[in-house]
Amino acid sequence: MLRAILRDMRAHPGRISMTLVAIVLGVAFVVATWVVSDSAAETVGNANSRTDLAARVSSPRDTELTAAERDRLAALPGVQRAIGVLIGHSSVVQADGKLGDTYWPGEGGTNWDSSARFTLASGRGPESGGEVALEQEAAADAGLTVGSSAKVLNADGEPTTMTVVGIFSYRKAGASEVSPAVAYDPATAAARLGSAFAWIDLYGTDQTQIASAASGALGSGFDVRTGAELAVQRQQQADEEAQLVRNFLLAFAGVALLAGMFVIANTFTMLVAQRTRHFALLRAVGARRRQVRRAVLAEAAVLGLVGATIGVALGIGLGWLTMEIIPTTGEAVVFAVSPMAPLVGYLVGVLVTVVAAYGSARRGAAVAPVAALGTDAALPKRSLVIRTVAGCVAMSAGVVAVVATSGPALTDAKRAVGMAGALTGWLAVILLAPLLASAVLIPLSRLVSRRGSAVSRLAVRNAIRDPRRTAATASALMIGLALVTAFATVGASLTSYITGAIETDVPADTLIVQSAQGFSSISPTLVEKVRAVSGVDSVASPTESFAEFTHQGREYHNTITALEADSLGRALTPVIEAGRADLTQGVLVSSADAKEQGISLGDTLTINGVTAPVVGLYGESEILHGIVVNKTLLPPDPKSYLGAVYVSGASRSALDAAFADRPDIVVLDRAGLLAEYTEPLDLALGIIYALLAAAVIIAVFGVVNTLALSVLERTREIGVFRAVGATRSLVRRSVRRESVVIATYGGLLGVGVGILLGGVMQHVIIGTPIFDLTIPKIVVAGALGGMIVVGVLAALWPARRAARTDILAAIATA
Amino acid sequence: MTISNAAVRAASLTKVYGEGDARVVALDGVDVSFRRGELTAIMGPSGSGKSTLMHCVAGLDRATSGQAWVGDVELTGLADDALTMLRRDRIGFVFQAFNLLPTLNAWENITLPLDLAGKRVDRAFADVVIDAVGLRDRLGHRPSQLSGGQQQRVACARALISKPDVVFADEPTGALDSHSSAELLGFLRRSVVELGQTVVMVTHDPTAASYADRVVHLADGRIVSEQLATVGGA
Ligand SMILES: Nc1ncnc2c1ncn2[C@@H]1O[C@H](COP(=O)(O)OP(=O)(O)O)[C@@H](O)[C@H]1O
Ligand SMILES: [Mg+2]
Repeated sequence: MLRAILRDMRAHPGRISMTLVAIVLGVAFVVATWVVSDSAAETVGNANSRTDLAARVSSPRDTELTAAERDRLAALPGVQRAIGVLIGHSSVVQADGKLGDTYWPGEGGTNWDSSARFTLASGRGPESGGEVALEQEAAADAGLTVGSSAKVLNADGEPTTMTVVGIFSYRKAGASEVSPAVAYDPATAAARLGSAFAWIDLYGTDQTQIASAASGALGSGFDVRTGAELAVQRQQQADEEAQLVRNFLLAFAGVALLAGMFVIANTFTMLVAQRTRHFALLRAVGARRRQVRRAVLAEAAVLGLVGATIGVALGIGLGWLTMEIIPTTGEAVVFAVSPMAPLVGYLVGVLVTVVAAYGSARRGAAVAPVAALGTDAALPKRSLVIRTVAGCVAMSAGVVAVVATSGPALTDAKRAVGMAGALTGWLAVILLAPLLASAVLIPLSRLVSRRGSAVSRLAVRNAIRDPRRTAATASALMIGLALVTAFATVGASLTSYITGAIETDVPADTLIVQSAQGFSSISPTLVEKVRAVSGVDSVASPTESFAEFTHQGREYHNTITALEADSLGRALTPVIEAGRADLTQGVLVSSADAKEQGISLGDTLTINGVTAPVVGLYGESEILHGIVVNKTLLPPDPKSYLGAVYVSGASRSALDAAFADRPDIVVLDRAGLLAEYTEPLDLALGIIYALLAAAVIIAVFGVVNTLALSVLERTREIGVFRAVGATRSLVRRSVRRESVVIATYGGLLGVGVGILLGGVMQHVIIGTPIFDLTIPKIVVAGALGGMIVVGVLAALWPARRAARTDILAAIATA
Repeated sequence: MTISNAAVRAASLTKVYGEGDARVVALDGVDVSFRRGELTAIMGPSGSGKSTLMHCVAGLDRATSGQAWVGDVELTGLADDALTMLRRDRIGFVFQAFNLLPTLNAWENITLPLDLAGKRVDRAFADVVIDAVGLRDRLGHRPSQLSGGQQQRVACARALISKPDVVFADEPTGALDSHSSAELLGFLRRSVVELGQTVVMVTHDPTAASYADRVVHLADGRIVSEQLATVGGA
């Protein structure tokens, strides 16, 4: 029995290889994503750790660690070397004259030493006052190499020009260490960073002895850790980071897996369908149902095993290639294959194939023996009733969950239910895809029948001939595309939300002065400097602190924003929903807070001993938070958070000139401010799109597979088509159009589902109504246009195959 | 017999399959011509080369040597696209089974050659053909909804719709019961008599051959006899 099946497999190498290709690709992409997440996690985990320390002494209290302590420690028995590490404010000026925002300037400078903290990538360590070594990413950001002169800022804000003599990568020990950007020679470091060490590293062989000697020598009040303890801490931290990376990437491996499952299952179903006559013949000559079923399953297992083996190997290779291609700065890329990667690969390959084969095997075994005799042997048609019912139930459940949580007041539970509802709906669309295929394509077919050419008519009809097959093919495409569109919708909605919020608060001609380090706090002294710029009409410096206030005898906490009274309506234009924007008469409260804390217009609030009436309520704002008070009424503490100064009236060039000597301060216009908000979002979306590409690529191969197998199945039809006068190019065209129809259907499903999914996601994230979404026009157009291209490309090979069909073999009566 | 009287002609047509031990001479220097406005039957035992002859003169296959003409067009040496156009515009086909495209309904199958050529359907002529095959109430049906006999009649209507120079039918009744066979043969016969169509029909069934004007006998890839038949008699 098995031999008969194996023979039959060998007799049709084309079909077998198509199935294998589907399994191999499905497995390969899943394994590759897995390998990439393993490797990325390991890279993050291993990145730049060092274990050469014997012990580290730090002072968590206010006791200073100085050269005196260092020398005492160095003299301890077993200590070969004691290095005091200075950490202080330093940052590198970039080519545009401003500071970059990659490094935290507060811990950006350190003293060079010959320990394993530094690994030189090029050049040498700094030896004199005019020299610095730069961390390689910092150097790359600033466009500096060995030999260039760098402008380096320390805490006093004055830039010093120094020569770059070395580029290093930094190794950390322990959990809290941050990579510095600049290293000075010891004397310069002491002059620029102060004399108190952040910690002292001790080197030697016996860690415990050195640690206990250090504790003994310094007494309590100092924190002493052995190198081993630090390594554990560091590893824990690295593992946590790695786990985040892994989980993020595995989510995408899961998506690729889902798409792969569809493609494999669909291909195997087609494979079995094409051998109906063979099964019928076996049944006719006496094979029992169970025998046919078993043989098909055995075949699936063999194919799965072979496909998975090739797929795992290919996937590992693909993963390696990806890790090689991914641009990294400095970090040594680790290529890691955990045992889970091949395991998942085999599981996917064998399990999915066998499960997919199970249904087909049952139907294959159910073929009536007489089918062997007919010219048109076909599998018994599967009813779509169960699937449709399941789909409708899932869809209703999803819609109910989404509608129930569509209100503006969102709790975490509601968010979870809403999201689960959206995903259930997504699943429902997959279940309903065959029905939808008919619903969408039958009207199209009618239209084409009336208007189109014979070729288009055939193409569309072929596409809806087996709605299940078309649906499975399109669903695989839909999975990746829906997620791409959903994320794009979230991105577009967030962007337009933020844009809307900022554009209402900040007039188009207002300029913004803020820290070069993004949203870091800036010094309040800058406000006067801004005011002194010629032409300035109004200045807003919303300064935030968290404070207690009393309202009707009860105490509350909220953000208090101190603001210049005359800036409202000029430098800043928040929406006033009730009352007046007159800070000279009282305070403004955000509508949302007012509602939450039961504050109404005219109520009096007591803040830090000052009592003032509420004169206005302002709408949702990205710039003003909590209770807005007149700066003269409640002058803010100089340490309060001042994110940006908003200026009206001044020209860009005047402001730029005023801060030309301040690399730590940038001047932005409104568009620049918007970019600060949206750029990180765009970057994240770019990464997500790239990761979803695997799922889309698998699905594209699924289209190729479906077409190729369909073409094989229709050899006779193509023969007749050719005999009555269709040229080869017409045959090619009809396959191509069929492919475009299937791919476009997948695209439409994906985009449609994606937009709705994205609508729910943005609702869950920012609480706006579901249909208040922004359609990501470029992504949608790209997805649909891309699907047409995919359709054409996927058809290349199957269409050629179809055109080569031997007319005589096709029409011969066999 | 003059050339102008022949719709299809073959000269020293030879077709060899395989090589060495597997070498089969399916056609061995066949000279034959099929007259315009006649129904010619090609008869002979199974394996005698009937289908091969038809394929070679109908532009479905290429002969190993020799020549074949449809009207005044010589087939040998035509490129695939030119052959395809020739089949589309000047030849009609009826095969033994599986003649129709399953996704097209009867009407669409019938008009397929015209559709492919981008020609308008001559409604009056189409009506004549459809009424002749008796399919008027079946035009919207898919092949799977038609009986075997109806399917063959749809194939005949398709073969005639483009008013081809010649209709080739390879065992058109091979898969039909005797009643349906008689209907189909009657129809082919009428197309010759009433529409002046040229029909070449391969058959090994003497009953079918009895509908022909002329019968060509093949054996082992050679013409062994050519005779006038008693038309209409069985
Ligand atoms: N594709 C082929 N390859 C090899 N031999 C063939 C092929 N087609 C037909 N033949 C051989 O050519 C001879 C004539 O076949 P055919 O024309 O089909 O005969 P008929 O139609 O009279 O039964 C037979 O011996 C047959 O085996
Ligand atoms: Mg034959």
